[in-house]
Amino acid sequence: MKLNRGLTICGFLAMLIPALALGQQAPSQAASKAKPQKLSASAIQIEPIEAGDISIPAEFRYAIYERLVARVRKDGTFQKVFRSGDHEAANIPDLVTLRTTVGKFKEGSQLRRELTTVTGGTRVDVTSTVAARDGHVLFESDLSGKVRFFGENLGVTNDLAKRIAKLLQQRF
Amino acid sequence: MRYLIASAIIVLIIAGGLTLPAQTLAAGSGTTGAAAPLMVRHIIGLENISSQMSGNLTVQNGAMQFSGSKSVAKVPVISIDGIFVGTETTQSGGKVGKVMKTAAMAAPYESGKVLSLLMRTKVDILTISYRDTGGAMHAAIFALPIGQATDMRTKLVAAGAREGATPELKERAQQ
Repeated sequence: MKLNRGLTICGFLAMLIPALALGQQAPSQAASKAKPQKLSASAIQIEPIEAGDISIPAEFRYAIYERLVARVRKDGTFQKVFRSGDHEAANIPDLVTLRTTVGKFKEGSQLRRELTTVTGGTRVDVTSTVAARDGHVLFESDLSGKVRFFGENLGVTNDLAKRIAKLLQQRF
Repeated sequence: MRYLIASAIIVLIIAGGLTLPAQTLAAGSGTTGAAAPLMVRHIIGLENISSQMSGNLTVQNGAMQFSGSKSVAKVPVISIDGIFVGTETTQSGGKVGKVMKTAAMAAPYESGKVLSLLMRTKVDILTISYRDTGGAMHAAIFALPIGQATDMRTKLVAAGAREGATPELKERAQQ
């Protein structure tokens, strides 16, 4: 009887282990299939943040722009990073342009975050678009920047810039 | 005995927290003269000036000048094409305040959160956008003592800067 039970357990384990191994392989295969093709460009021009009808204070828009420039330069994904309006960018044939449009903005409260831990978060949702020199859109992505626990509301700009820079690193 | 020590620590932290806003205000209150420098905190934007550095902001010889402890940044006033004023409620006490609040997290029964209530200060946020000689757009953002950003905007406009603010932002600044 004991032998039977032992055999059953062994059989069960023998079935379970390959099943788990297959289960782990399947998502990684799916991920590799879904991995987008890498693009190539030597320079990028970063345009100021567009808000459209969304009410977002100027300091947030300009802080996102400045942090984006700093972060993309630091990452070294592109040989050159140009600011909006830079005359030098006109001479680069494979220049791509990053445009960011705010979709939603919710200004929280640092005090509420610190007192309650779960409320008072600041969040900004944007759509980032990278286009080639001829205006052809290379890719578009929706991203969010958040401050959930500690720090000033303006910290959301740092989080968002980090995410956009990471996206650029993945795609170029 | 343990509670006595914990209570003493909290009292000390709170006492320290109460004195910090006063120091911060004192630093800003003596700088209202026309040519007197204004003590500000650089948030982001100026080249070669690190984030969160404190320094003096002045308008002189056709340029807006930020003087930190080690470095100086100048922006020609005529290159400024946008000045925006906002407000933000933030933590007072600067780096010391940050250290104190981190220490207060260890206080029992989450009593350190009292510091969050006490160490609040409202600041003006001054944002300027400008273009360099190559046409590239830059922005610089500063935190100023409350009520000082509008004065600075007036000084910059008087010196030749373009305001470029939308009516909505002007209205917000007046509130």
